[in-house]
Amino acid sequence: MRTIRLLLVLVCATSLSGSAQEASESDAAKAVRVLEGERVKAQSRNDNHALDLIFDNALVYIEYGKLVTKGDYLSRIKSAKPQQQQIAPGAMTVRTVENTAIVVGTYRETYVKDGKSSSKRWRFVDTWVKKQGSWLLVAAAAVPLSK
Amino acid sequence: MKALMLVALLACVGTSASYAPGDADSDVEAKVVAMQHMWGQAYVSKDPKALERILDDAFVNVDSDGILQTKAEAVAEVRTSTAAQFLTESMVVHLHGNAAIVTGVFEIKGVDRGKPYAQRERFVDTWLYKNGQWVSIAGLVTRVGQ
Repeated sequence: MRTIRLLLVLVCATSLSGSAQEASESDAAKAVRVLEGERVKAQSRNDNHALDLIFDNALVYIEYGKLVTKGDYLSRIKSAKPQQQQIAPGAMTVRTVENTAIVVGTYRETYVKDGKSSSKRWRFVDTWVKKQGSWLLVAAAAVPLSK
Repeated sequence: MKALMLVALLACVGTSASYAPGDADSDVEAKVVAMQHMWGQAYVSKDPKALERILDDAFVNVDSDGILQTKAEAVAEVRTSTAAQFLTESMVVHLHGNAAIVTGVFEIKGVDRGKPYAQRERFVDTWLYKNGQWVSIAGLVTRVGQ
């Protein structure tokens, strides 16, 4: 009986905490969070068409300390071998102010180099802007975590 | 003399940080670039007040080691700065309505615990026109070619 009560309490607490988290995030933030997920999927599939829709034409992207444009980035994805790299998103926070959203989070990148699998954790900052009703990624930058 | 110049720069940028909706893009870009320079100079003059005006209260930065930094932490860093020179170059501003993305490279030189250092880092900052003035809401710094 005690076990059943405990289970009920746990189930209630879990569902309450879930709904509270959802309630605290705006619709805009939820939309951006979904788009972040879509972007990761598109990147994993080397789906240039999907990324083209997600990226603003003036996207600036900083990775490995280099500044690349949307064109540069899409060319790299296009030429990358399928499954050459995998990205596992970690925790992220989304903050929206009017038509701008800032996403800060981490992800783990797993890649194969010279036949060996390696992984690296990154922290990123993405900026999204809502243009004509659609959220577009205008800036993306990531830094490898040293610890 | 340096302090006077900084005060003049602050006063100048302070009055021009606001912009009317009809401002030309080039005017807005110039204002944001001026504020980026002011940000760097705050490290040399150890001027936390300048940074308090530039950064949004919810500002967040990721440094080149991937460490998250809040506005309070950034302001505290300025107070204890060892920078003697802060040069910003190759700045490009992309305007997206009331938001602006600035990319560039800065070089910072100084002496820390008796040892001279020079760092060259690439940055991307997001600015937002909020309550009548431009404020930085997010940034990321990475070593060039990291």
